[in-house]
Amino acid sequence: MQAVILAAGEGMRLRPLTHSRPKAMIPVANRPIIAHVMDALIENGIRDLVVVAGYRKESVLSYCNRLPFPVTTVVQKRQLGTADALRAAAGEIHDDFLVVPGDNFIDAASIAKVKDVQNAMLVREHESPSNFGVVVIRKGYVTGIIEKPELAPTVTVSTGIFSLTPGFLDRMETTELPDAVMDAISRGMMMKAIHAEGWQDAIYPWDVLKLNRSLLARVEPQKGGRIHGSVIFSGTVRVGEGTTLGPHTTLQGPVVIGDDCQIGPGCCIMPHTSIGSRVRIEPFTLVSGSLLMDDVSVGSHSHLQDAVVGEGCSLADHTSTVRDESLFSIEGKVQKAAFGAVLGDRVTAAPFTVFRNCVVGNGVSLRSGRVITSVVPDGTLVM
Amino acid sequence: MCGIVGYVGRRTAAPLLVEGLRKLEYRGYDSYGVATLHRSVSVLKKSGRIPPDAGLGKGMKGKIGIGHTRWATHGEPSDRNAHPHTDCTGKIAVVHNGIIENYVGLREELEERGHRFRSDTDTEVIAHLVEEAFRPGKLQEAVEQALTRLEGSYAILVIAQDEPGIVAARKSSPLVLGIGDGETLAASDMTPLLEYTERVIFLEDGDVAMLREGEITICCNGTSVQRPVEQVTWCLDDVKKGGFPHFMLKEIHEQPQVFYETVRSVDVREMAIQVRSSPWLTLIGCGTSYHAGLVAKYLLEEHAGIPVRVEMGSEFKYYAPPVRGLVVGITQSGETADTLTALQKARSYNCPTAAVTNVVGSSVTRLADHVLYTRAGPEIGVAATKSFTAQLAVFLQLASRLSDGALDDAIGTAHLAIGDALRTELDDAVGLCTGAKDIFYVGRGPFYPVALEGALKMKEISYIHAEGYPAGELKHGPFALLTPETPVVAIALPGPTYAAMISNVKEMKARQAPVIGIGATGDTEIAEIVDVFLPLPDGPEPVPLLTSTVILQRLAYHTADALSRDIDRPRNLAKSVTVE
Repeated sequence: MQAVILAAGEGMRLRPLTHSRPKAMIPVANRPIIAHVMDALIENGIRDLVVVAGYRKESVLSYCNRLPFPVTTVVQKRQLGTADALRAAAGEIHDDFLVVPGDNFIDAASIAKVKDVQNAMLVREHESPSNFGVVVIRKGYVTGIIEKPELAPTVTVSTGIFSLTPGFLDRMETTELPDAVMDAISRGMMMKAIHAEGWQDAIYPWDVLKLNRSLLARVEPQKGGRIHGSVIFSGTVRVGEGTTLGPHTTLQGPVVIGDDCQIGPGCCIMPHTSIGSRVRIEPFTLVSGSLLMDDVSVGSHSHLQDAVVGEGCSLADHTSTVRDESLFSIEGKVQKAAFGAVLGDRVTAAPFTVFRNCVVGNGVSLRSGRVITSVVPDGTLVM
Repeated sequence: MCGIVGYVGRRTAAPLLVEGLRKLEYRGYDSYGVATLHRSVSVLKKSGRIPPDAGLGKGMKGKIGIGHTRWATHGEPSDRNAHPHTDCTGKIAVVHNGIIENYVGLREELEERGHRFRSDTDTEVIAHLVEEAFRPGKLQEAVEQALTRLEGSYAILVIAQDEPGIVAARKSSPLVLGIGDGETLAASDMTPLLEYTERVIFLEDGDVAMLREGEITICCNGTSVQRPVEQVTWCLDDVKKGGFPHFMLKEIHEQPQVFYETVRSVDVREMAIQVRSSPWLTLIGCGTSYHAGLVAKYLLEEHAGIPVRVEMGSEFKYYAPPVRGLVVGITQSGETADTLTALQKARSYNCPTAAVTNVVGSSVTRLADHVLYTRAGPEIGVAATKSFTAQLAVFLQLASRLSDGALDDAIGTAHLAIGDALRTELDDAVGLCTGAKDIFYVGRGPFYPVALEGALKMKEISYIHAEGYPAGELKHGPFALLTPETPVVAIALPGPTYAAMISNVKEMKARQAPVIGIGATGDTEIAEIVDVFLPLPDGPEPVPLLTSTVILQRLAYHTADALSRDIDRPRNLAKSVTVE
């Protein structure tokens, strides 16, 4: 059994987080989404992995090169669609195989259910089916896949995970995989629908927080680094090598902290928080339900809640993110969303900046302490 | 400069030797050959690159063998000059990396005694010298006797009929032995060994070793010696292309990680104490390492107030400069012959020595008093990229240490800016370069060596003539060469040299030279006067040194790629220059 992991997609709707990396490389619970997908496959004994890279391919290739196990990589030259991506991998496929999106989370139990069934797909109920391919099922077999319909006939959606045989590749004529599957079905192939257990996708940037929350539940505890005797732990906490936790810092799991961070004294890291590597959090700052990527620094007396903070952001003292709910228009669709803030990479903020339910682009520089709401485009300078 | 490999064990040697040679091709690739021993010695050798088919050498029997991949120094690349070389009887075969300086005299002497030479190489004299001293069962003694006649540098492997092993010897050329399970190997570097063993022995100068199945005995000056067995931690995957079309691009993209790892792991404390107590500092390097030294000069003089001189290894060793204080050799491979000799010379003046290198256990680490390691990992692309960044990481750390941490913050976040520089759009700039016959690179201050390095990358891999100049020097001559067909790459960042750079660029534009400007993001002044503007990612000084370097590496890479050059193996060049 082989697995083809599709990691070429850009994830436009996840901007600003996908400016410098493809969706599959967004770190969630301190590891790229694709790493969690590989875990599920390897746990099922599927070790022959083919990764298709495309958009920002260097970041995927460099990551795969650093893995402790061998992974075959192929490059999709232009991002024409999922079937086209699969075609890019065709030269490496010589056995029954799974197609797995590298940018959605999938658990090992679901893979176990689908891996031994020839011609099957994993499906799942979803509260907003119109964002996905909606699947029509009759007697356990797929009869139709409708891509992102205005009005969904059912709430069952495709996870994008298929179990296929090498013969499928020879008759694949379209650029999108669901179309290719429907062609095959119309030619008489029986495609079994199997219900996935844990599958989760992030469509919009704030969805990353929910995904982070789910994946943190799976983290193994570890206490590396230098931890002061007065640090208080509860729940599952993972602290990387070389990290210093100052006196009277409190950590309430599930929390994961990377390598070489400096946190505290007197900081509170509350549940559902991921903190990347080389992050500096100055005294008396509280972080809760948030995702801080690598090389972030947060000044003292700050309060971050429900925030995604991109790589290399530098937030001065007394920064706050405030949870609220409002409407966002993304790629022509209006979405209602409740969260604190999503900051792209390298955002810098002056003391006393307040982020209230906003999406701030990459490299935005906020030069005075203001209240930021709604959407700030990449590279904006706010005086 | 060549690569050699040898095998004694239970497997058929020839295919294994060919695979080993492929891994050493970066050391030279104009001809190749193997010799194996099965009752008698048989030799296969050819000029040209090793063909890709896997069956090569399959017909050759024997579980003992030696192989060679050549980069011609004495005698043109041809079948007959390819190694291994044999003696008159065809019973003894030799492969050699290095240069025998007195071979002309030896050859005349041997010819007088009736030896017939079949090649123009210096190596063949070794085969005939061994032949004269050879008695059955006494190959090692014969080699030892032959070596007493040689002057120059060598790493050699010798096999002979009825001798169940290989004799290996080294002097000033690299040779590593590997001890496997019932098999032993030898090679110019570790890469061919890693597939079979992680246990290696680095031979010292003057060592002569006998390799048999699973057993190695070493003699030095006629007495038996023990050399430590070291464990190698590299994994073989480190040296694969990993999905990138070229090693060079892979290595360019490893730079954020390499920079960070080097910054984190390098301990400059002791070196800083040495430097402080030194009246001045001498840095020695060749090629890209020399450019790293030039950048370091600016950094250390400006931030630490220490007088620094930078010398090319090949120049330093041929005159008698007054030297005092610490002498630092910079060499990625640790095997660069010119840098090694220069360090030896510094030692002879009783100067303390130090080395900045990427290869643990390389020759320079045994020569220098102090060693600072870069953490670049194996660099395969002939054009050095990540090793340069890693060398700068070492010198930035040193400069920061000597200036009470003045650069620490900038160094701590530099890897992010390097990552951003990997994404700068270059298509228009590449378009200007691909059609050019000559390109000039100009910068001022520390950006002058950056310009030199950018020009070196361009000429190495794209074969376009490129020169780096301090921007102010352009007027003192090279200006005469500017035409509408000669692009100029100008690095102009805000700071004391900015105004002067802008007026330089205007002067170039007045001669209608197309200008590619590299400057700070949002700098509209320069963006307006140049033809193509490449904005650098934001970052405090000295981060622009690193980001502009990365952009110039990428400009050279993409230009060479657009011209379909053999990027990982440019013509006439080899990775580490282990000869003068």
